[in-house]
Amino acid sequence: MVQFHEHIITDLLEDPAGGLVILSSGLSLPKLLSSLLLLHHPSQGTLLILSTSPSLKSQILYHLKTHHHYSPENHQITEITAELPSHYRLSLYSSGQICFITPRILIVDLLTNKIPVTSLSGLILLNVHSLSETSTEAFIARIVKTLTQSIYIRAFTDKPQAMVAGFSKTERILKSLYIKKLHLWPRFQVYVSEELERAPPEVVDVRVPMTKYMVGIQKAIVEVMDACLKEIRKTNKVDVEDLTVENGLFKSFDEIVRRQLDPIWHILGKKTKQLVSDLKTLRKLLDYLVRYDAVSYLKYLDTLRVSESFRSVWIFAESSFKIFDYAKKRVYRLARSNDAKVNEPSKSTSGKKRKLKRDDDNEEKVVDGASSTGKNGGVILEEVLEAAPKWKVLREILEEIEEERQKQALPREDLVESEEVDSGIVVVACKDECSCMQLEDFIANGPQKVLREEWQKYLLSKVELRGLPMPQKKKPKPRESKGFGILDGVVPVTATHNAEPTSVNKLEHDALFAAASEIRNQCRRDYIVEDEPQVLVDSKRQKGRGKGQNKRGQRKNAQNSGNKVDDANNKVAASDKPEISSSEHKGQTADNDSAVTDGYPENKLKGAREILRRHTQQPGFSYSNVKQIPPVYFYAQESDQPILDILKPSVIIVYHPDMTFVREIEVYKAENPSKNLKVYFLFYEDSTEVQKFEASISRENGAFESLIRQKSLMMIPVDQNANSLGLNSSMESQPSSSQNSITRRAGGRKEVEKEMQVIVDMREFMSSLPNVLHQKGMRIIPVTLEVGDYILSPLICVERKSIQDLFMSFTSGRLYHQVETMVCYYRIPVLLIEFSQDKCFSFQSASDIGEDVTPTSIISKLSLLVMHFPRLRIIWSRSLHATAEIFASLKANQDEPDEAKSIRIGVPSEEGIVENDVRAENYNTSAVEFLRRLPGVTDSNYRAIMDGCKSLSELALLPVERLTELMGGQKAARTLRDFLDAKYPTLL
Amino acid sequence: SSPKTGQSRNAILVSHRQKGNPLLKHIRNVRWSFADVICDYLLGQNSCALYLSLRYHLLHPDYLYYRIRELQKNYKLRVVLCHVDVEDVVKPLLEVTKTALLHDCTLLCAWSLEECGRYLETIKMYENKPADLIQGQMDTDYLSRLTHTLTTVRHVNKTDVVTLGSTFGSLSNIMDASMEDLARCPGIGERKVKRLYDTFHEPFKRVI
Repeated sequence: MVQFHEHIITDLLEDPAGGLVILSSGLSLPKLLSSLLLLHHPSQGTLLILSTSPSLKSQILYHLKTHHHYSPENHQITEITAELPSHYRLSLYSSGQICFITPRILIVDLLTNKIPVTSLSGLILLNVHSLSETSTEAFIARIVKTLTQSIYIRAFTDKPQAMVAGFSKTERILKSLYIKKLHLWPRFQVYVSEELERAPPEVVDVRVPMTKYMVGIQKAIVEVMDACLKEIRKTNKVDVEDLTVENGLFKSFDEIVRRQLDPIWHILGKKTKQLVSDLKTLRKLLDYLVRYDAVSYLKYLDTLRVSESFRSVWIFAESSFKIFDYAKKRVYRLARSNDAKVNEPSKSTSGKKRKLKRDDDNEEKVVDGASSTGKNGGVILEEVLEAAPKWKVLREILEEIEEERQKQALPREDLVESEEVDSGIVVVACKDECSCMQLEDFIANGPQKVLREEWQKYLLSKVELRGLPMPQKKKPKPRESKGFGILDGVVPVTATHNAEPTSVNKLEHDALFAAASEIRNQCRRDYIVEDEPQVLVDSKRQKGRGKGQNKRGQRKNAQNSGNKVDDANNKVAASDKPEISSSEHKGQTADNDSAVTDGYPENKLKGAREILRRHTQQPGFSYSNVKQIPPVYFYAQESDQPILDILKPSVIIVYHPDMTFVREIEVYKAENPSKNLKVYFLFYEDSTEVQKFEASISRENGAFESLIRQKSLMMIPVDQNANSLGLNSSMESQPSSSQNSITRRAGGRKEVEKEMQVIVDMREFMSSLPNVLHQKGMRIIPVTLEVGDYILSPLICVERKSIQDLFMSFTSGRLYHQVETMVCYYRIPVLLIEFSQDKCFSFQSASDIGEDVTPTSIISKLSLLVMHFPRLRIIWSRSLHATAEIFASLKANQDEPDEAKSIRIGVPSEEGIVENDVRAENYNTSAVEFLRRLPGVTDSNYRAIMDGCKSLSELALLPVERLTELMGGQKAARTLRDFLDAKYPTLL
Repeated sequence: SSPKTGQSRNAILVSHRQKGNPLLKHIRNVRWSFADVICDYLLGQNSCALYLSLRYHLLHPDYLYYRIRELQKNYKLRVVLCHVDVEDVVKPLLEVTKTALLHDCTLLCAWSLEECGRYLETIKMYENKPADLIQGQMDTDYLSRLTHTLTTVRHVNKTDVVTLGSTFGSLSNIMDASMEDLARCPGIGERKVKRLYDTFHEPFKRVI
């Protein structure tokens, strides 16, 4: 444990009521939390941990269990999920354990009195930066604090930038959580910096020059961004000061723009919205430029061209032509085959063929492929396949490390024994899993191999379109001119650049197509050969097994990773990949054990092919034998694993520099001061990567400075507690003597002689309305409702829609059906259209209304709804608080709703045959929604489908016959099957 | 209920009370004519509308109630077309909402005269239109259907749909893809991979 963590904990524990800790990112929040959890003892009561993310959770658990003070009986950790039956949950609440729990479950259990509050010792809230005054966590804090003052609330975040967004956000969060103390721990805090800088690791900063084309692309993107920014400025809707290209490099730029535009967002013209989203796209392009290889990058650009609507401004900007052009040049170029050149290109193609042949023993000669290239009207495709400059450098560094090691190993031989477990692993840290896999591949096989594989995939993805006739007759026409037309490789607007006649594009097209079909022909054969052993029906069961194996193997790996790694000779170390069952990983295992292949059928064709290739390559392909390299572990920063603590590396190569990870390294070094640690940073010279890295540090510092200022001005009442600090000051809270002691009575109000009750659907606890209703003094009864979201009285049933939801559920038809059922069961069915406080109160600006009545307009949809359901009532609410007031006034003269009745309504029939109340959280909701959107699936058959097969992946494999049984009709089954199997039109 | 001539059936009948309402300028896609009707706008055989400006409501809070009472039970669809023309809407809107709701009127809010006019036009023009527009029928071409389906998974956008489609070739391949294959798609980060994978592989019903 680092010392400043101790400081943080001591500071925090001083106040028994709790506190909010804001920590610099990368200062190992999970470790801090696990140290804090170690202090917990069951006798204190149960400790609940809210709003964790899965990765944070697993890191906390890891650190906790590896800590030497850890004792299984005192620090038992359970996770409370909705699946646990309620009596079991109850026993957990009073067990004195540490429990992870979601806010939604906790609030429902609190409201239904399932929690003996006195047996709780405290709450720990994580990810505080994503909270607001109205979020469920605040609701929980209020209820808990009204019930008992003795519970502490400790809140944490390591995203300081997010805490300064919005007006005095931190202060408002503090108040809503009833926390008085704010603890700020920036990286520049004295204790922190002293400790981290005491014995800093040796740092080597490697600047890699970018290739000519990369520089070109980067420049072009920045130009386009600049152009977009200029356009945005013209709209006069945003503060110009923040709009710089530098800011544009960050995700937070969207926030800046969004924050300024949010209040008027839905009345903005299409163009402005498009500009904002274009900027986002451009930022991604900039990011991917340094992250992806040339082929993937080109592929991504292609997909963008297909998917970006024709409205996209950036695609038409002049410089964007350069982006596409350079990106292409990094991958291939077209050569005219005049007499002199004729031989050369054909040689290159045959060279390629030879390589391919080696890849696949089963491969036969490709005769027709060659001829098709040749025939191609004099234009020949030459592969360029530019490798990322960092690749080469990475390899050199690795070789250098190994050399150094060997040199050192000689004189130190006797010491080796005494040296503690130095695995010798080199950790290479990348941003994402994708680059990890690619680098791994590159180290094993060399750059050309990797790129060529990508290139083949790229071509393949393009080839099928030509082979297929366009599926529709009239539809494609407009499409062609808008989306697909651009794909031809010409950007229509940039005609000025396009000096050459369009026929060249046609030729390019053909050349690409020829190359692609050549590869496809090879792959067809691949398929035939390798497809055979696959048995589809089995794959499901085996999948589970394969996974299990993987896990087991993983644990073993983790235990003796030290020894094992040493065994790995010049190959990449067999590393444990805890989360992703990667075929790369499998590929490596397969080297040692060829039988493994059938253990992992989940890889399907592609994976299997890869494994096969690896086998066949081994003897022939000797790139990796050129020079020895040390065992390498590729770590994806995205995956948030406590990798440094697991592997204990002495050399780290930061392939994609990232502030958080750098801090993690610092902490790791501080914890292991005796260790020699060498860190390499790989930056692209003069790239936005450098800018971004430096700016991220200064931005964080800026955030802390602002927080420090805010802290000095904060007004937190000394006796902050629930009674004195309800947001609604007219409300007086007192424990009610009736059956529900949690809700408060609103004293001094006329209409509140009786306690108001609202029945709320469980799913609604995602939104903040229940919280606000409760603040208003209503009693909230959470149940699972089949019909409606809120039941105000036996007559009034409300379906709540936020603006965004409204638009979406009109499109999906959901709203229509929801209203339909409400109309069936309630006398006053209500649609609540809820605007949010900070946004403009209207649907669209007057100028966007247009001349004609159009079916797509929200006005038309709403009118139709109203006309088809004349009994439907509509509430237009300005904000959450306005909604609460409207509810209260509507309820004034109505009876209270009946809980038991509301649950039953709409379940199977009006006769009240209650099916065993299936709870909402027992469904994989996104899967169900997905299912219902598939063609052929209707309201009447989707339940049967869910009964008949377990998951979507299973559904994907069902034959038509079985589908016919499930869906009750052959036509529907056919429709679905056809849709599932339809070939995706390729990009060329 | 009131007698109608063939000519006036296709037009919105406007009460003389509405004379001088600038809103009338914005009814352009449908014909309209003045007539003796109790409601402000007669939009069809069984549907009518009352126009209410919030500013007017602030001055005459009882107006709406009396107008609604006048309508009696003659219409199936009774719209209160509320022109939101004040800044501070919460209180007046609460009153209007309550009155409309408890007296069987459907409240429609509009923020400009153009919008008010458009509602009246639309209701008239769509008089006999079936509801399939809002029943979830959508574009039937493959790509839009695929996009429609895949975007149920949170944070998956159109670009991702294209990426997934071109990588895996068909929806069934996407649904059966391994985590690793999903992760290899450019632009699809860890979180999206997890979401997609869970959607496809977690069972529909989580069995206890």
